[in-house]
Amino acid sequence: MNEQVKAARDIITGYKGRPLRIMEVCGTHTHEIFRLGIRKLVPEGIDIISGPGCPVCVTAVGFIDEAIWLALEKGCTVCTFGDLIKVPGTEMSLAGARAKGAKVRPVYSPLDAVELAKDNPGEQVVFLAVGFETTTPSACLAVKKAQELGLENFSVLTANKTMPNAYNALVGSADAFIYPGHVNAITGNGACKRLCEEKGVSGVVAGFTASELVTALAVCIRLLEKGEPFFRNCYPRVVRDEGNPAAIKLMDEVMEPCDSEWRGLGLIPMSGMKLRESYAACDSRIKYDMPLITGKPNPACRCGDVLQGKCKPSDCKVFGKVCTPLHPVGACMVSDEGACAAYYQYSGLV
Amino acid sequence: MCVGLSARVVSVKDQTAIIDAGGAKREISSGVMEDLEPGDYVMVHAGVAIAKITESDEEEAVDVMEDLL
Repeated sequence: MNEQVKAARDIITGYKGRPLRIMEVCGTHTHEIFRLGIRKLVPEGIDIISGPGCPVCVTAVGFIDEAIWLALEKGCTVCTFGDLIKVPGTEMSLAGARAKGAKVRPVYSPLDAVELAKDNPGEQVVFLAVGFETTTPSACLAVKKAQELGLENFSVLTANKTMPNAYNALVGSADAFIYPGHVNAITGNGACKRLCEEKGVSGVVAGFTASELVTALAVCIRLLEKGEPFFRNCYPRVVRDEGNPAAIKLMDEVMEPCDSEWRGLGLIPMSGMKLRESYAACDSRIKYDMPLITGKPNPACRCGDVLQGKCKPSDCKVFGKVCTPLHPVGACMVSDEGACAAYYQYSGLV
Repeated sequence: MCVGLSARVVSVKDQTAIIDAGGAKREISSGVMEDLEPGDYVMVHAGVAIAKITESDEEEAVDVMEDLL
């Protein structure tokens, strides 16, 4: 550990000021802060709360129902990031659908789903495109590649989301945000700077190693002590102010903004991404003339409150009892990035 | 799904790169990266290189903490 990181650690452990609420927006931050023991450094006056930055966790129940409809009613092969498979839909998860004969395939990349479609022309392959700006470029590349290859058996079911309007919905829920480093690696820092300048929202961009998280948290605490709104990029080795212009251009070419339903936050206008009309042939909803499917979340689950920092996972009545990683009730207990899964695994409460 | 993988670029050709992540090699897309060269370090998400990594996290900490100490 170098001198700067030791100094950062001392800033955190020595804090004796007013109570602070700091929200780590990103689900991977939630897990790494627990896993690396950083929560144990934080004194009582600082509350670290989790935000809505786990894409699996904010994916609406209805999206899972749509995917199951494609798999069971239309016989599609559903390719997905593995985290989604156990997320409960209204009646079942994709794992439950697989038990009923649905073809559900976990993939590492949407480009792997394109390869699957190319190698299996007799199968109709659907990729479940969830995620924020970090993963949306990979879905766009997959759509473009499928079109270049002339594949007629590949489509995507989109639930991609964008962070800026979610930040707006979260204004006031914390004294400062720890922004997701890899979202900003794509988008750049403009939206976070505007939030600071126009709405006085403070935050830092953080990386994911122990030294990055400790230094970002220390910077956040020290600047909160000064009392002025701030934005600071604490992950400059990956995040540039301008982001990744090629990825931004690609997303703009393939997708366009749309309203989007967030689990817990409700409908946030223009916070989602859908395929542009020129790529409609790859849009599963259009291709299969999908009816309107709206899911019904389990009323016992408080994932929605957890995602807004209104309660901790341990405040939910089903946490650790009915709802466990093996038998999750809510999405936050499913994903490795979910706050409930992190609390279950690391907090020592269960 | 959002966990990034840092890796060294082994080769680049036609918007495709071979990366080495702690000894494991994999083909990824370099379709949203400009000027990627063998030897560069990149952050990879869902099979796509999204950003170059320019320094170590400890070097970064020196820069980040500079005006706070």
